Amino acid sequence: MAFPKNISPDAKRLPDLSIDPEQIEEGSSLWQDAWARLRKNKLSLFSFWTLIVIAVVCFAGPLLTPYSYVEQDLERTLQGPSWQHWFGTDDLGRDQLTRVLVGGRVSLTVGIIATCVSLLIGVTYGAAAAYAGGKAEAVMMRMVDILYAMPFTIFVILLMTIFERSLLLLFIAIGAVEWLTMARIVHGQVKSLKEQEFIEAAVSLGYGTRRILFRHLIPNVLGVVTVYATLTVPSVMLLESFLSFLGLGVQPPQPSWGSLIKLGADNIQLFPHLLVIPAFFFSLTLFCLNFLGDGLRDALDPKSSKD
Amino acid sequence: MKFGRMVFGVGGVLTAVVLAGCGGGIPNVEEATARGILLKGNGAEPKTLDPQVATGVTENKIISALIEGLISYHPTDDELPEPGVAERWEANEDYSEWTFFLRADARWSNGDPVTSHDFVWSYERMLTPEFGAEYVEMLYPMENAEAFHRGELTDFSEVGVEAPDDHTLHIRLVGPTPFFLGMLKHYAWFPVHPPTVEAHGRGWLDRSSPWTLQGRYVGNGPFVLEEWRVNQYIRVTKSPTYWDRDQVRLNEIYFMVIEDVNTEQRMYASGRLHVTNTVPSNDIANLRRTRPEELRLEPYLGTYFYRFNTTRPPFDDVRVRRALAMAMDREAIVNRVTLGDQTPAYAFVPPGFDDYPRRRLVEHDPETARRLLAEAGFAEGGGFPRKFLLFNTLEDHRKIAEAVVSMWNRELGIDFQLENKEWRVYLEAQSQLDFDISRAGWIGDYMDPVTFLELWTTDNGNNNTGWSNARYDELIREAFRSKTQEAHYAALIEAEEILMAEMPVIPVYHYNRIYLIRPEVRGWNPKLLDNRPYKYLYLE
Repeated sequence: MAFPKNISPDAKRLPDLSIDPEQIEEGSSLWQDAWARLRKNKLSLFSFWTLIVIAVVCFAGPLLTPYSYVEQDLERTLQGPSWQHWFGTDDLGRDQLTRVLVGGRVSLTVGIIATCVSLLIGVTYGAAAAYAGGKAEAVMMRMVDILYAMPFTIFVILLMTIFERSLLLLFIAIGAVEWLTMARIVHGQVKSLKEQEFIEAAVSLGYGTRRILFRHLIPNVLGVVTVYATLTVPSVMLLESFLSFLGLGVQPPQPSWGSLIKLGADNIQLFPHLLVIPAFFFSLTLFCLNFLGDGLRDALDPKSSKD
Repeated sequence: MKFGRMVFGVGGVLTAVVLAGCGGGIPNVEEATARGILLKGNGAEPKTLDPQVATGVTENKIISALIEGLISYHPTDDELPEPGVAERWEANEDYSEWTFFLRADARWSNGDPVTSHDFVWSYERMLTPEFGAEYVEMLYPMENAEAFHRGELTDFSEVGVEAPDDHTLHIRLVGPTPFFLGMLKHYAWFPVHPPTVEAHGRGWLDRSSPWTLQGRYVGNGPFVLEEWRVNQYIRVTKSPTYWDRDQVRLNEIYFMVIEDVNTEQRMYASGRLHVTNTVPSNDIANLRRTRPEELRLEPYLGTYFYRFNTTRPPFDDVRVRRALAMAMDREAIVNRVTLGDQTPAYAFVPPGFDDYPRRRLVEHDPETARRLLAEAGFAEGGGFPRKFLLFNTLEDHRKIAEAVVSMWNRELGIDFQLENKEWRVYLEAQSQLDFDISRAGWIGDYMDPVTFLELWTTDNGNNNTGWSNARYDELIREAFRSKTQEAHYAALIEAEEILMAEMPVIPVYHYNRIYLIRPEVRGWNPKLLDNRPYKYLYLE
C-alpha cells in the first residue's frame, strides 16, 4: 500500500516549521559534550593538565637526567638535595630524581593498565549479568561473590607461579582482581536502568542485545564507572607496592613510587627527603585523579542539562 | 643455624599497630625494670618451640630459656662449658667416649625428675627417619647415629648412647671430638619430656605436635612458658622447679615478635624494649652519635654469603663462580652498604677460632675475574644468560644484593635480575634448588670451624648448592675422626681451600651482632655465638 503524496489539501495552514540553519544545533557526541562540560570545571581541568605534565615528565624526564636509575655511587649515599642531585641520593648513592621519575612510569602504567583491565571485565560482566536477568544473573553474580571471598594474594601468587613472571602479567593480575567491585556497581546501575522507558523503547524497536547494552545502557553508567575508576587507580598503585614488597611485583632495582615511599618511610627520622619527595608526587597524582574523577562524573552524566 | 629471620614485614607493621592498640598488658621499660621483667625484641614469629624441630636463631633464643641441655651456656664465654643438667662429666683419653653424671635435683616443670632416659628417648626421636628432623646431622658424631637415621640400622640400642641408670648418660662418638661439650649446648641435643610429647598430637613422631603450646609445654629450663600470643609476644616466667632457681634473677621475659626492624627501633626509642634484636643499617651512623653507650657492635660467629646453584649452567663452571666471587668488592660492601663494622670475608670460616689460621682464599681482583669469565666463554659478559639473584624480603638484603649486582655489571658486564621472596617461600626455593644464586647466612652452632665446613658435604641438609666433592667429604669425615687438634685443623684447612677453589658459595662478610641495649640490663656480655644464659641476667 502506498501513501498518497499529498495527505491534506490544508497543509499550507500548518505553522512554518522550517528552522533558520544558523540555529541548528550540531549533533554532538557524548564525548564532545563531556569535554565541553569538563572544560568549564577549572579544578578538573587543572588536574587533567597536571596529570598530563606528570606523565610526560615521568616518561621523558629520565632521558634528560645525567644519571641512570641503577647507577650507584657508594661514596655518596643518603645525601640531601643538591645541585648535582636535585632530590638527593638513596642508600646506594643513586640519583633520587631519576628514580622518582622512573618509579612514576611504573606506578602510572600499572594504574592505567590495571584499571583498564578491570573496567573492561567489570563493566561488560556487570552489565551483561544485569541485562540477562534470571538464573544467568544469579549465577554470574554469585561467581563474583565467590571470587570476592578468595584471598587476593593467593590468587596473584597462583598467577605468578603458573605463568612467567613479568610486569605486564602483574598489571593484568591486579586488574583481574579489581574488577569485582566494578562489576557489582555496574550490575546495580544497569538493573535499575533497564526498567526505564528508553530501554523498553529500544527493545520495542527491535535492537539487538549487544546494541542495547553498549549503546544505551553502558553510556548511562559511565559517570559512576568513571568516578569509581579514578578511585581504582590509586588503590591499584598501592596494591602494586604491596605486591612488590611481597616479592611478587616490581623487582629491584626497578623502582616504583610504592617502593620508594617504603624506603623513605624506613628512613623518615634521619633522611626525610627520601619520603617527602616521592610521597608528594604520589599524593599529587592521587589528588588530581580524584578531582578529575569528580569533574568527569558531572561531565559524563547524560542527564545533566546541556546548557 | 639459619639466619636472616629479621624479616622486614607488613606483619611487623601490623604487629606494632596491634601492640599499640592493646599494649595495656605489656609494661613499659620503667615498670618492667622495677618488676624484674625483661622486654626483648626477638624478630619474627617462631615457627615452633620444639627443640627437635626448630632450625632458626629466633626459636633458639626462646627455647634456651625453656629447656636446658646437659651443658649450659657460660655467662661470659661461649667457648667454655657450664654445668647444666649434667653436674659433672668424664671423657676418655681421646675424647671419643663421654660419661655425664646428671644432677639429682634437675626437674621438669611439672615436677618429674630429669633422667638420662629422657635424653636417650629424645635422641631416638630425633634420629628416627620418619620424624624428619632437619638438624639431625648435629647428632651424627654419635656412633651409629647416621646409620640409624639412614635406616641402615633399625635397633636403636646400637646407637652410641645409653643410660646405665637414671642419672648417668654414656655417649660413644665416631671419633675423638674435643669440642663435643660445645656441641651439646645446641638445642638439637636438648631433651624433651616424653610423657608430654606422647600425650599430644599424633604420637611421638608428630612434628607439628601441639605439645609446645601454652599450658602444655613442659621444659626443664630456668623459665616456663606462660603465654604465647601469636604475632605479639611469648612470655616466660621464672620456673619454680628449676634446680638453680636461686640464681635466676629475672621474674619474666617477654620475647616480642617484631619483624620490622624500623618498628623495633621506634619501640626501643619510646621505652618499650630493653634490648633490640637488630638495628637498621641506615640508622647505625646516627646511633653512633646519639646513643653510643647503648649501641653494641660485637663480633658474631657467622658468615653472610651467596650460594650458587651448581646444577644450573653457567654456574656449573668453576671459572664463572670464581669470576663472580672475585669481582665483588667486599670492602665497599662493608664500609658503604652494611655500615656495621663487619669483617669482609675472604674465606668461609669467620674469625674467632684461636688456633685456626685466618687466610685470604679469594681476592678482589676484577682483572682476573674478567679473564676467567672470558675463558668460560662470556667475554665482557657477552652471551651470559639472564639469571636471578634471590634474597628473602628484607631491606638490608635488598641493599647488598643491589650493590653486588651493580658491581658485577660494572666489572664483568653481566646483568643480573633481582628476585625477593618471603622467608618461607625463599627457604623452600633453597631446599628445592630452585634458584640461580641465593643469599644466605650461617651462624656457628658451636665453637669449632667444622660447624661452618661440614655444611658443604654431599649429603648435608643445608648444602643446597648441588655441589659435591669426594675429597672434601673425606676431609670432613677425617676431621671428625682425627686424634689431635692439629690433625683436625689440618683436615679443615685443606677442606676450606678446596671449598674456596671450587667456590660453590661466595663469602661476603662475617657478621657482627648489632643491637641496642638499655643500661638497666646487667649480665649481658658480648658472646661470639650470642648464646644467652638468661639465668644470669638482671635489671637495675
